[in-house]
Amino acid sequence: MTDIKTGQISIDDLENVQITIGKIVGAIEKKAKDEGVKVGPTPKPGISTLRSWDHKILSRYHPVYTPACDQCCYCTYGKCDLSGNKEGACGINMAAHNARETLLRVITGAAAHSAHGRHILHHLIDLYGNDKTIDMGPSNLLAPNTLAVTGIKPETLGDLEEVLDYVEEQITQLLATIQVGQEGGAIDFESKILHGGMLDHVGMEVSELAQVSSMQMPKSDPDTPLVEIGMGCIDASKPVLLVIGHNVAGVTYIMDYIHDHELDDKIEVAGLCCTAIDMTRYKVENGGKPRAKIVGTMAKELKMIRSGVADLIVVDEQCVRADVLDEAKKLSIPVIATNEKIMYGLPDRSADDPKDIIDDLASRKEDGALILDFHVLGQVGPELAIKMSKIRDEMGIKALPKEEDMQGLASKCIYCGACEMDCPDNLPIMEAMKAGVDSDLSKFEYLHDKCIACGRCDQACPKEIPILNLIEKASQKLIREEKGYVRAGRGQISDPEIREEGVNLVLGTTPGIIAMVGCSNYADGTRDYFKVADEMLKRNYIVVTSGCAAMDLGMYKNEEGETLYEKYPAKFLAGNLINVGSCVSNSHITGTAIKVAAIFAQRQVAGNYEEIADYIANRIGAVGVAWGAYSQKAVAIGSGCNRLGIPVVVGPHGSKYRRALIGKPYEEEEWKVYDARNGEQMPIPTSPEFMLTTVESVEELLPILAKNCIRPSDNNMGRMIKLTHYIELSQKYLGHMPYDWYNFVRTETDLPLAKREELLKILEKEHGWEIDWKRKKILSGPSMKSDVSAQPTNVKRLCKGEC
Amino acid sequence: MVDTTKNTQIYETWGRNVAKPVNPNVAGKVITKAKRPLLVVASELLKDEKLVEKAIAIAKKGIPVAATGHSITALMDKGIDAKYINIHSLATFLGDARWSGLDGKGSYDTIVFLGHKKYYLNQVLAGLKNFTDLKTLCIERHYMQNSSLSFGNLKADVHFEALDELIDNL
Ligand code: SF4
Ligand code: SF4
Ligand code: SF4
Repeated sequence: MTDIKTGQISIDDLENVQITIGKIVGAIEKKAKDEGVKVGPTPKPGISTLRSWDHKILSRYHPVYTPACDQCCYCTYGKCDLSGNKEGACGINMAAHNARETLLRVITGAAAHSAHGRHILHHLIDLYGNDKTIDMGPSNLLAPNTLAVTGIKPETLGDLEEVLDYVEEQITQLLATIQVGQEGGAIDFESKILHGGMLDHVGMEVSELAQVSSMQMPKSDPDTPLVEIGMGCIDASKPVLLVIGHNVAGVTYIMDYIHDHELDDKIEVAGLCCTAIDMTRYKVENGGKPRAKIVGTMAKELKMIRSGVADLIVVDEQCVRADVLDEAKKLSIPVIATNEKIMYGLPDRSADDPKDIIDDLASRKEDGALILDFHVLGQVGPELAIKMSKIRDEMGIKALPKEEDMQGLASKCIYCGACEMDCPDNLPIMEAMKAGVDSDLSKFEYLHDKCIACGRCDQACPKEIPILNLIEKASQKLIREEKGYVRAGRGQISDPEIREEGVNLVLGTTPGIIAMVGCSNYADGTRDYFKVADEMLKRNYIVVTSGCAAMDLGMYKNEEGETLYEKYPAKFLAGNLINVGSCVSNSHITGTAIKVAAIFAQRQVAGNYEEIADYIANRIGAVGVAWGAYSQKAVAIGSGCNRLGIPVVVGPHGSKYRRALIGKPYEEEEWKVYDARNGEQMPIPTSPEFMLTTVESVEELLPILAKNCIRPSDNNMGRMIKLTHYIELSQKYLGHMPYDWYNFVRTETDLPLAKREELLKILEKEHGWEIDWKRKKILSGPSMKSDVSAQPTNVKRLCKGEC
Repeated sequence: MVDTTKNTQIYETWGRNVAKPVNPNVAGKVITKAKRPLLVVASELLKDEKLVEKAIAIAKKGIPVAATGHSITALMDKGIDAKYINIHSLATFLGDARWSGLDGKGSYDTIVFLGHKKYYLNQVLAGLKNFTDLKTLCIERHYMQNSSLSFGNLKADVHFEALDELIDNL
């Protein structure tokens, strides 16, 4: 029997007949077998497959619910008041309903990423064919999440279709459980949340594999170029084409048109949110120059639109404000929608002559257009921006209020406080108004960095004062100076880099990976995030970043006047700052952890999720921080990290996700694992203390990051380094020794060298430990032993003699 | 006497169970009557030196303090019983009868809040309201609807006056 392969075949006797074989059921599995890829026990897990692993996580990290609403309005039996953990008419209680609410957010986020993946994959398969090879750089393990979850080792774009088939099917299964009359147990909604999070990372990874392989994006390249960022770096004297969203497919046609028509110097292409990041990755492989600038995150969206600088706005999908068209219309900026997910009720001009579209939009006959044909988009975008720039100049568009009008506007304020109450951060707007009456604009300026430009204050004001515009006008000088650099997203961490650094991570001599990700819904301004990265980089942590967080880290300069990207290199080594790329590049962060298990520890990856997650949970000191997390995608990403045993911290706004996973350090029984060498139980340090939690301020966050990088596998040097940072950061930011530092001490060699004697004295005096002062050794006291050859595992079946 | 119950306007809704507005003298009595009160302060405290003084004055009446965020930096060496803890962890432990408190002396029955971000505290309180029997009392500038008892929305100067009156009633 001959095996049929995918591709095209002709049959000799039948002229002009060509048969295309797309998918063959089981072909990928067969290929894996032929290539000797051993597939583990759980390829393509269903909802219940990894449930026992989830329940292990959840038995230590307790779901904690902080409902965003006491009621449920899911069906016509309701609304039901569930307060006090009451049951609704269908029998569901508050805890389960809140877990259900979280699940809905998680699968919404996972759907956004995987639908993005499906869109860009189809687009790229149309362009390059199913057989286009996946190329992520010098690695064998190209798709760690995909391989660990599905058991599939994709090699071509076509192989990714089956991966997405799986993700989409599972998301539908999870969505079905939201329906009333399905799941009733909070704990199983919790397991489903983790399942949804895991799927999200596969969906993200597919997007990345497809775009990095096909769009000449950097492939594991630590030397990507620096890209200009900030509202201040946009040259408003040129026509400005502003792109907003996450899916770079359409805008690449615009960039190519500009390049091919030698318009690069004549037009300013700038982006907001992750499309911007991916625009700056497009065709920069092997030394290409970035063809776009980055304005910034979603918090800059309304500010940028209202500045009136853009001559054309192009939107694609995700994190695009719903009022872009209305806001743009006020300033005669045409809007082009390019993706079915956002169409704003605009007429579909995809099949029209570009010239007609340009005429209709330039004459303002239409406010915008939906263009789904990217060839048409490629031509309309640049030509329309150039035309509009002239027209808008001639119109003399005035966006922000005039200097002389500021005082008058401020004096309209009746100090009712409605704006402050509606402001998500309750910012002191009234103080700014008061000072504004006396022509002192400094208090408005103070608000600029703190304000996330949501526009709620404008909506609330009974006097119709354009509050956000006042803030922006007062901050013009600051905005002009808002210029920084971001290193273009480098893609995944390569196998050789893992080989070099894996050992330091597992033994703790590199103190940890701090993954700074997420959006811009900060509690106290953007600069805070820079402060965190700066501090952790100085302390030799590996800081990995992506998406909007990566942008914000490039907006500020250190004492030497450098951005962090200029100061720190981007290799996978201690003390490096790595921008992996856009939102979907977050899959590289979990992928890195999987790679450490696979490459450094030689664990089998394919279809072996539980063992990989167990390895990561016990050995890789990584903590995710999504300080300004706002979206459903962010909670999906966090949940995916959690299923792999990676803890995540969100800022105070993250409490509105309504659920956390928090451990109880005082429950000794919950802090035990097995030693895989003999199946005996062994105590572990109470770190990570949580899987998902909120923290109030960056001062509180910094010691928490250091502490939660501690892992059972740390050797003495590693533990000493980690403990040193934990103690120092607590002293620096909280003003005192942490109250639980001694819990992490197993032997005197775990103690920070410079403070050893002093700490031994405290251990003896305050904790009753026995010390041999002659040899400066701890004789008794610690609750756990130091044993680097121990094999900590949460999974009994992985212990010797169990299987 | 300051009336702290007048303005209880709500800007976002959680549900039908909302905090009972209280005057400072009543708030003082609630704290005095509690078997194991706990004052929970947060980093917003640090934005106003006067607020720090009030928190210390309350603590000096013998009430233990959980200092969340980085508020502990203003409360050390002040002769009060204050200890740092993350608020999300604290709220988790408060609902657990097996937790022995910040000092090992057992759990608390009345939790008093001062110096928090409004939206953050309301979320924390939503957890306590729905999943514990604890009495919660907010002596903030804002009406905290998810608390059992709360001051209404107050101007800054009225708030300080109210805190003084509360302290006098301890
Ligand atoms: S789903 Fe259940 S709790 Fe929700 S409204 Fe319907 S009956 Fe009430
Ligand atoms: S636009 Fe800024 S000041 Fe206005 S409500 Fe939003 S965050 Fe507050
Ligand atoms: S809502 Fe308007 S009138 Fe009221 S305080 Fe704010 S700016 Fe003044």
